[in-house]
Amino acid sequence: MVVLAIFVYWPIVESLRLSLNRVAPFGNAEIFVGLDQYTRLLTSGEFWNNVLVSIYFMLGTVPVGIGLAVVIALLLSYPVRRLSWAHRMLIFVPVVISSAVAGVLFRWLYNPVVGHINTWLGAFGIDGPNWLNTRTWALFAVTVAVVWRQLGFNVIIALAGLQQIDDSYYDAAKVDGAGTWDRIRYVTLPLLSPTLLFLVVINVIISFQAFGEIDILTMGGPGQATENLVYSVFVDGFVGTRFRGLASAQAFLLALLVMGVSFVQFRGFRSRVHYG
Amino acid sequence: MTAIEADLATMSTQESTSTPPAETSGRGEFPLHLVLFTIGIIVSTPIIVAIFTSFTSLNRILADPNSIWSAPWTFENYVSAWTATPFGRFMINSFIQTGIITIAQVTFSILAGFAFAIFRFPGRNILFGIVLGSLMVPFELTFIPNFILISNLGWANTYQGLTIPFLASAFGVFMLRQFFMALPRDLYEAAKIDGASDWYYLWRIMVPLSKGAISALTIFSFLGAWNQYLWPLVITNEESMRTAQIGIRFFMANQERAFDWGAIMAGATIVMLPTLLVFLVAQKQLVKGIAMSGLKG
Repeated sequence: MVVLAIFVYWPIVESLRLSLNRVAPFGNAEIFVGLDQYTRLLTSGEFWNNVLVSIYFMLGTVPVGIGLAVVIALLLSYPVRRLSWAHRMLIFVPVVISSAVAGVLFRWLYNPVVGHINTWLGAFGIDGPNWLNTRTWALFAVTVAVVWRQLGFNVIIALAGLQQIDDSYYDAAKVDGAGTWDRIRYVTLPLLSPTLLFLVVINVIISFQAFGEIDILTMGGPGQATENLVYSVFVDGFVGTRFRGLASAQAFLLALLVMGVSFVQFRGFRSRVHYG
Repeated sequence: MTAIEADLATMSTQESTSTPPAETSGRGEFPLHLVLFTIGIIVSTPIIVAIFTSFTSLNRILADPNSIWSAPWTFENYVSAWTATPFGRFMINSFIQTGIITIAQVTFSILAGFAFAIFRFPGRNILFGIVLGSLMVPFELTFIPNFILISNLGWANTYQGLTIPFLASAFGVFMLRQFFMALPRDLYEAAKIDGASDWYYLWRIMVPLSKGAISALTIFSFLGAWNQYLWPLVITNEESMRTAQIGIRFFMANQERAFDWGAIMAGATIVMLPTLLVFLVAQKQLVKGIAMSGLKG
């Protein structure tokens, strides 16, 4: 209790206070500046770039990550008798990999000269780009790494959701003459919707918090092409000249953004989620 | 098991007749095996490439990346990673940090979960609301003030600094409370009548009955702590206090200039080895635990 109070609740207040104050460039005097830092952020192009990166990043990771996970889970839900443990093992394994290690592994795969991705592309006669140093490819490259690290978790949740669906629904649909796709469309997906809602909410939060892969793969670059809000909080708060107030203000806006998006999802999905 | 699964099999075999799974022969399963195995290999490729690279000598890696798939294998990358940077120290730091966090989170969660599930005390609901509410506070909101607090206490670059903010886990308290509440209250009353103390009841009856949930929580805590990145990155700046995750970051930054990808992959393999071992040993509990927390949510 005490730990939670000190390290979770008190910091919220402190965070708000920091975001309203600016530390003088020389010395440690804190100057109360009210909402100054917020207006500064909201009128700066850099801040909106970071917001956009966060949003692109969410749009890139969440639908693809969950779509892949549902397809794989559908395939895995077919009870093969032998070797199923091996398939599961190979597919679930990213769940234990840290963001730092994922970043390092992908940095090697993306290496423009001796990396495996460009070597494989070369085998097909394709000249792979310099993934991490090209503005257009860097965000895509980081997105792939984060989708990969999340995949094991998402498949496990989707599979558990599929296994909750009672067989009788499928039998009834079959009696009514529904084909495979009809059954997936009208039986599986609606009955899976509570699980999908959970996956969407969790993945959106995770995508907004992506940090390790970005730090290791691109450090927010090239330029600021992959600098999302969390990375910007880190840069402003901890690298070089420190602007803790500015960083806190961004953290606050980020938190509001995450909570706002989650709230909209709950409201928007509530009418469409079917509880079996 | 069901029609849809039979259809999936049909889809992947491109046959027009659906085969009831109960009668499926090993031969009929083969295409699905192939599809799943291919997906599995694609998914684990980054890990497989890293491990193979770590056992191939640097000259061969740089001459032809595909040479990692064939012998001769070598340990030289591990030797050079281990001697170039204090990986041993990083691993010990990580084990201490992870050990403290895991033991504390599990113990606190058992005690608090028990209190919230069994005792009726004034303010219980308010306290539980505070615990639950903290689950919804985004991490980025708390970490700058926590950093300032820990630094002002002089705990930067110490084990206290690495662990104390994470000693309690609201998720763990919630998870075990739900689990303890599911056990019949009659059991508690009966134990009381037989003269068991609360302490005895908790450790001798409840904990053994909740082995599954507690081991899942232990695995979660272990993985969460071992894989932490942002916090140890900002709270340590001395090499001797870095955790394995932070160690590999700086090691990569240094070695990349020397193109020593063999050593970097050896380092990455060392860092992920403990979690891979946990995965191999406890895959079932881990998967069950994740599935359980997903269905509750």
